[in-house]
Amino acid sequence: MKSRKLNLITLLSSLVLALVLAPVSCFAMPAPTERFYINDAANILSSETEDYIFENSRKLDEATKAQIVVITVPDLEGKDIESYATELFRSHGIGDEEKNSGLLLLLALKERKFRVEVGYGLEGALPDGKTGRFQDEYMIPYLRENKWDEGILNGYKAFFAEVAKEYSYDSDIKPQGKSVSGAVIIYIIIYVGLAIYLLIHNYKNIKNGTSSNSSSSKYHSGGWSSGGWSSGSSGSSGSSGGGYSGGGGSSGGGGSSRSF
Amino acid sequence: MKKSTSIFLIIAAVVVILAGFLISKYNSMVTMSERVDAKFSDIDTQLQRRADLIPNLVSSVQGYMGHEQAAIEKVAEARTKLMNANTVAEKADADNALSGALANLLALSENYPDLKANTNFITLMDELAGTENRIATSRKDYNDIVKEFNTLIKRFPNSMLAGMFGFGEKEYFKAAEGASEVPKVEFNNTTE
Repeated sequence: MKSRKLNLITLLSSLVLALVLAPVSCFAMPAPTERFYINDAANILSSETEDYIFENSRKLDEATKAQIVVITVPDLEGKDIESYATELFRSHGIGDEEKNSGLLLLLALKERKFRVEVGYGLEGALPDGKTGRFQDEYMIPYLRENKWDEGILNGYKAFFAEVAKEYSYDSDIKPQGKSVSGAVIIYIIIYVGLAIYLLIHNYKNIKNGTSSNSSSSKYHSGGWSSGGWSSGSSGSSGSSGGGYSGGGGSSGGGGSSRSF
Repeated sequence: MKKSTSIFLIIAAVVVILAGFLISKYNSMVTMSERVDAKFSDIDTQLQRRADLIPNLVSSVQGYMGHEQAAIEKVAEARTKLMNANTVAEKADADNALSGALANLLALSENYPDLKANTNFITLMDELAGTENRIATSRKDYNDIVKEFNTLIKRFPNSMLAGMFGFGEKEYFKAAEGASEVPKVEFNNTTE
C-alpha cells in the first residue's frame, strides 16, 4: 500500500516535472555560446568570417562595453523575426546593463530575412531608418545572391564603424560599397604597380650588391604588413576560460527588418 | 514578572508583527503598481513617437498619392484621436484604429513604385515599422507586468488588503483582433 502510494507520487511528480521542462527543451532558440559574439547556427559562414567578427567584437567590448553580436538561425520556428530578435536580444543580454549598448544582427535562412535589433543605448546612433538603409546598401545585394560571408561581413563592418564612432573607439573598419568601385580599382593598380617597381628596384639593388636589407625592411614596415587582417595574435586572453557572455543589456524592439 | 505585563508584551509583539506584515504588503503593492505605471509610460512614449511621425508621412506621401486623399485623411483623423485619448482603453482603441488606417495607406502605396523607391519614404517606413514594433514590445511588457500585479492583489491575503489600501485591478492594453500583427512593409528593392 505504502509503496503504491509512493509510486503514484513519483509518477505524478515526474509528470509535473516533464510538463514544466517540456517547453524549455522544445525551445530551440540558440543559447549563448562561448564565443558569445558570433553564433552561426545556420552554418553558412566561413571560419574566417566568424573569427573576424569574434575578434573585433571582443576587442570592442573590452574597450567600450558595447557588444555587437551576429547570429544566424536555420529558421524562426514560426515566429516573426521582430519578436524572435527581441527575445534573443533579451535572453542573451546583449550590451552593457547600464548603457544598453548592444546590437544584434540576425539572419533567418529559411525565411530569407535579416533583422538588425538595436539596444536602447544605441538608438541615437542607429535610428531605424539608418539600420534599414545600411542593410539595403551593404548587405541585401550580397545576401540576395547567397553570398553570406560577403553580406554579413560588409554589414558588420558598416554597423561596427557606427558603434565605434558612438563610443569614440579607434578603428579603421569600414564597409565597402555595393560593388568594387572605380577608386578601389585605381588603388589596386597603384599598389600592384608599386609592388612591381619595388621588386625590380630591390632586384637591381641586390644585383648591384648594395645593402638591400635596410631598404626592403623600410618598405615592409610602411606598406604591406600593417593591413591588420589576421589580428588574432594580440588576443591571447580569449582562451582564459569561461568564454564570453552578455552584459545584461536590453532592447525595446528598435531596428529594422528586410527580406532578401 | 507580573501577569499583566506579560500579556501586554505579547499583545505589543503581535501588533508589531502585524504592522510589519501590513507595511511590507503595502510596500510590495506600491512597488508593483509603480512598475506597471512605468511600463505604461513606455507605451505612451512610443505612441507619441508614432503620432509624431505621421505628419512627415502624410506630407511625403501627398505628392505621390494625391488621388488617395480619403485614405490619407483617415490616417490623420486616427492620429488626432490618439492624441486626445486618455485612458488605457481609449489609447488602445485609438492605436488600433491608427494601425488599421496606416495598413490601408501602405497597401495603397504599393501602386506607386516611384514612392516606394523614394529614399525618404523608405527611411520613414523603417522608422514607422520600428516604432510599431516598439509599441508591440512595450505592450507585451506592460501586459506581463499587469498580469503579475493583478495576480498579486488577487491572492490571499492580499485580496483582503488590496481594497483596504486602495489598489484595484489594472487594465490590460488590448490589441485589436489581428492588429497584433504589425503591418509589414517589404522593400524588395526594384533591382530585378
